[in-house]
Amino acid sequence: MSKELIRLRDLCMAYDDELVLDHLNLYINDKEFLTLLGPSGCGKTTTLRIIGGFTTPGSGDVLFDGVRINDVPPYKRQINTVFQKYALFPHLNVFENVAFGLRMQRRPDPADPKRRSKLPEEEIRQRVLEMLEAVSLKGFENRRTDALSGGQQQRVAIARALVNRPKVLLLDEPLGALDLKLRKDMQIELKRIQQQVGITFIYVTHDQEEALTMSDTIVVMDKGSIQQIGTPEDIYNEPKNAFVADFIGESNIIDGVMVRDKLVQMYGRQFPCLDGGFAENEPVDVVIRPEDIDIVPVEQGQLTGTVTNVTFKGMQYDIIVDFRGFKWLIQTTDHSPVGARIGIKIDPDGIHVMKKSRYSGLYGDYSSFSDEYDELDTVEPEEGGDEA
Amino acid sequence: MKPKLSRFAIPYVVWMALFVVAPIVLVVVYAFSNDLGGFTLENFSRMGTYAVVFGRSFKLALIATFICLLIGYPVSYVMSKEGEKFQRAAMVLIMLPMWINFLLRTYSWMSILENNGLLNQVFQRIGLIRLYNGLFGTSLEYFPMMNTQGAVVLGMVYNYLPFMILPIYSVIVKLDGSLVEAARDLGADSLNVFRRVILPLSLPGVLSGITMVFVPSVSTFAISKMLGGGTELLLGDLIEQQFLGGAYNPQLGAAISLVMMVIVVVCMVVMNRFGEGEEQAVIL
Amino acid sequence: MKRQNRLGSRALMALVFLFLYAPILLLIVFSFNKGNSNIVWTGFSLDWYRSLFQNRLIMRSVYTTLLVSLLATAISTAAGTFAAIGFYSLRRRSRAALNTVNSIPMMNADIVTGVAMCLFFVAFFSFWGDFSVWFNSVQSVVVLPERLTLGFGTLLIAHVTFDIPYVILSVGPKLRQMDKNLVDAAQDLGCTWMQAFWKVILPEIKPGIASGALTAFTMSVDDFIISYFTAGSSSSTLAMTIYGMTKKRVTPEINAVSTLLFVTVLVLLVIVNLREARAERTGEERRPVSQKLTRMLDTPKGRIFRRGAAVVLAASFLIVVVLLTGATNAQPVVNVCSWGEYIDEDLITRFEEETGIIVNYQTAESNEALYSLLKSGAGDYDVIVPSDYMISQLIEEGMLAELDYGQIPNYTLISERFKGLTYDPQERYTVPYAWGTVGIIYNTAKVEGPITSWSAMFDEKYAGNVLMFRNSRDAMATALSYLGYSLNTVDETELREAFQLLKDAKSRGVYQSFVMDEIFQKLEGGNAAIGAYYAGDYLTMLENNEDLAFVVPEEGSNWFMDAMCVLKDAPHYEEALAWINFIASTEANLANMDYLWYASPNQEALEQYPAYYEELYEEPLDQEAYDIIAAPEEVLERCEAYLVLPLETRKLYNELWTELGI
Repeated sequence: MSKELIRLRDLCMAYDDELVLDHLNLYINDKEFLTLLGPSGCGKTTTLRIIGGFTTPGSGDVLFDGVRINDVPPYKRQINTVFQKYALFPHLNVFENVAFGLRMQRRPDPADPKRRSKLPEEEIRQRVLEMLEAVSLKGFENRRTDALSGGQQQRVAIARALVNRPKVLLLDEPLGALDLKLRKDMQIELKRIQQQVGITFIYVTHDQEEALTMSDTIVVMDKGSIQQIGTPEDIYNEPKNAFVADFIGESNIIDGVMVRDKLVQMYGRQFPCLDGGFAENEPVDVVIRPEDIDIVPVEQGQLTGTVTNVTFKGMQYDIIVDFRGFKWLIQTTDHSPVGARIGIKIDPDGIHVMKKSRYSGLYGDYSSFSDEYDELDTVEPEEGGDEA
Repeated sequence: MKPKLSRFAIPYVVWMALFVVAPIVLVVVYAFSNDLGGFTLENFSRMGTYAVVFGRSFKLALIATFICLLIGYPVSYVMSKEGEKFQRAAMVLIMLPMWINFLLRTYSWMSILENNGLLNQVFQRIGLIRLYNGLFGTSLEYFPMMNTQGAVVLGMVYNYLPFMILPIYSVIVKLDGSLVEAARDLGADSLNVFRRVILPLSLPGVLSGITMVFVPSVSTFAISKMLGGGTELLLGDLIEQQFLGGAYNPQLGAAISLVMMVIVVVCMVVMNRFGEGEEQAVIL
Repeated sequence: MKRQNRLGSRALMALVFLFLYAPILLLIVFSFNKGNSNIVWTGFSLDWYRSLFQNRLIMRSVYTTLLVSLLATAISTAAGTFAAIGFYSLRRRSRAALNTVNSIPMMNADIVTGVAMCLFFVAFFSFWGDFSVWFNSVQSVVVLPERLTLGFGTLLIAHVTFDIPYVILSVGPKLRQMDKNLVDAAQDLGCTWMQAFWKVILPEIKPGIASGALTAFTMSVDDFIISYFTAGSSSSTLAMTIYGMTKKRVTPEINAVSTLLFVTVLVLLVIVNLREARAERTGEERRPVSQKLTRMLDTPKGRIFRRGAAVVLAASFLIVVVLLTGATNAQPVVNVCSWGEYIDEDLITRFEEETGIIVNYQTAESNEALYSLLKSGAGDYDVIVPSDYMISQLIEEGMLAELDYGQIPNYTLISERFKGLTYDPQERYTVPYAWGTVGIIYNTAKVEGPITSWSAMFDEKYAGNVLMFRNSRDAMATALSYLGYSLNTVDETELREAFQLLKDAKSRGVYQSFVMDEIFQKLEGGNAAIGAYYAGDYLTMLENNEDLAFVVPEEGSNWFMDAMCVLKDAPHYEEALAWINFIASTEANLANMDYLWYASPNQEALEQYPAYYEELYEEPLDQEAYDIIAAPEEVLERCEAYLVLPLETRKLYNELWTELGI
């Protein structure tokens, strides 16, 4: 893509003896939409706060445009943040919230370059209104922020950050508090805004779908270290370990043995695949995405099993198939009744072989992360809304 | 069936009507009657005589409130920045003096401030008084601190400072930390963070602190008697005098109470308006 | 840079705490002082702690304070919690209105609240009196008491009234924070509404209730002003006792009791906080003890126990209240109002032991203040000890009861000189208590040459060093004497002239302060040079400061007699007579004369006193001192007794007095 803007070098961070960041190295390119993805407690928010300047790393460097900025306070960084619960100023109206950063700015006076002067009121006004228009909030200038809906507050927060024309925008789970429909709309909206303003977005989320939809680059994190960096396609199609495979999308993760290059053995059967570079007979994790499995008549199947559960999902059926006690998830458009014996067939490009890692064996069956949405529960209910 | 919860309020509403509202109504009635119980406005016509006392009381109370704010705000702010353990201890330490009766604490100040009191003795011993006399050609034996308006203000500040610190502190400490971060993120340095975010958001605490200090200050009577020497009456003294003191005239006392109450209420309303206006002012 | 900031903020905190604690530290330190000074350290001793427990006045007021605070806290916490729940479920508009009313006791000036409640109670009592008379006359099944008075009951009501708002204030927000669905959820899971209340709402708002209760208790203990107006004559809180003392001299016993209270609270708070801190650190539940208790009470056996405990608690609470009201009725009492340090307190103990009658002893500041107390209904005493002119006025207004002298045999011991004086010519209402003269007390170390004239009280030479009476009659008398007018003049020009003299002197800064009994510590401590006061008190001061001298000025002065009277409708008439008889005895008069240094009207006591003194102190009584106590004829000739003034003149006095204060 383009040139490197931010580099994190060997960041370490610990709270109360617990390592939150473990020798983290990362570079972020200019005009890139980068997502830090991971379960809660993986260190993604800490990373973001370090870039924003709210947290000082225990060790390591933060470089911005090649300059070390560890000790630069947040208000001197060309970086702005959209906070998790927006952190809109309750004592200010929409216009003033957006104008806040501009009122803080000082720039050399055109008349007398030695003096630094405030931005002229007219400019502030114009920029704020432009920005509000850009986030479709024209006409809301004088509203109190607590009288806005979640989505509107969200857009005020984005406008408030972007109006300062930062080089980087940090977004800390900004869509967490919104409902599903709105979230989908905002994902597209955010991507559009990013392309329109053409700056770097660093986005933190635990929602893999969000990450896949918007990002140029996804950084999957867990336990304070980076598990995989790549484009959404890379991450989805070529997970580096069982954690990534399980976290991104739904997967069947199976113990296997690499017989030789391009041949892997599962359940005593051998399957051709595209991967190579393993030692002979090396134990591996095999990931098979549920949509990469074809249901075929029993006699044509590479494996045969019994359907134990069928769920209609609209576009497809989620079918659970029992292969000798191992349960697989298969997504298909064809209906098979419960109890039916079926055969399956997997194309070589549907089989992803990974080296064994510390995550091996943790994700049995087809289970994906189920506690991803835990954080949403902490959103406070609106107060006193049901009265009057 | 769910019992109607609002019924829970009924006993207390009755209680309030009896012991809060009725007594105040009685004060109003008294204020408009003469000693035979007839209606009169005479009690108010004499109010002009006491304008000086009103002026003095409000002046001293305002000064005391201002000083309390000047001390209380930074203390609350600084306190909220400390560790949790420190905050807890500090809160206890601020509440604790209330467990020694305020009369006694004020009395203690008397022995500190008296002409022959602790402070003057210390000044004497370290030669401060001699130094002062030498410098200004005076011949003081002591610094007169007792029985002055300053002493009364000191007594007010001393007694009511916790009432300023507590509400301000409780507002500041609850302030959402992400707002401060947001402000810093948007380019505000510490001073601007304070001026544009923390200060306006802590205004409710400041206002209630001001009320909680100003009202008892303006109506105190024991403090002025003890530290002020009784040469200059305050409103509280004046009222007490009419009820239980040397000049029995409850109707006049009620009238003075009423006028004081009205002025205080008006001040509070204006201040709260001004408080809202303040937010606007910060915006502009 | 950060460290510097921290240092600065710590320094600020330290300064503020120094400011808050310096006076308290002083109090605590001097509670261990050997002497009774609050300034001069004379050595370590625990004497004041020992004598504290023998001082029934203080102990009783501590008891009253704790009792009223605890009861008020318990009642207001329960009532406030329920009220808060009620408020919470109201519609927004009515809730706002009620909240406004609720905040009145918090926001209103204490003095207005106190005054308003006092007026209300008195008005209610008089209404009740009429009602009960009528009610008792139309039926005879229930006999209502016809006379209600201010007392523990009204004190408690007042405290509950100003405590509840604090409870609501701290419970309300907790309710609003509570998830509205919690109760529904509990009911959905099978709780009855009551169970939901106990198991869900209450635990949820418990922190609010606890902090509300703590605030209420603190406010109750700290309150003085509202108690002062609502406690009446039969109960005094510690604050009221202290207020009575601050006028004269706070005995270090008060320092001792405050130290004990302070240390107790400190220790309690430290324990609670340490516990909480530890609980938090180990990640335990916050209040382990209460939690354990709740868990224990949740077993089936526990439930029975819990119900039993609730019943027992409620019952014992009722019993305490009944006992309290009952106790005061069951045991004979007499309510006495006198002046500050105007009795040898051993006499009270002796009387109580001899007769089994409890003495509620309170003090008023001056005759005028006593009159206000009586008029406003705040003081319903049995026995009062006003001065001559005030007695006339009270008789005139029909406020005194005739005495049954048959029950006061000791009346015969009173010297004939002091019987049938102008205020009570037919000897129907009074038994003399003590007499004396008014004069100038001055510090010979600070004043050149002996003072002989009242002019000293108006002399700019002594600016800032003169103490003037804080009561209209005595203050005006100094000026009237100086001007050569009668102390009983009704001539408005003469009175205005005297007033102008005082006013001018005040505006020229002659007066350091207007005092009553505060004069003791001010003159004793050398904080002022000159003051006008009563002869006997001079001798008390002399014990503590040898530089003091006394003179009855040449222009003449006031000669006064204080006498015991019983108020009309006194609820304890018999006990009152017993008390008067006891005080009139020679023994009591000797003890009082020795304690007060005021002259006794008891002929025997007056004659025996020098011998009594010699026996007690093993040294002869100085004749000069005796003459100051009991002024000889040639001094008395210069002096004039106060007579009651006509209503017009009294009004003028009040007006002038208030004006002087301005």
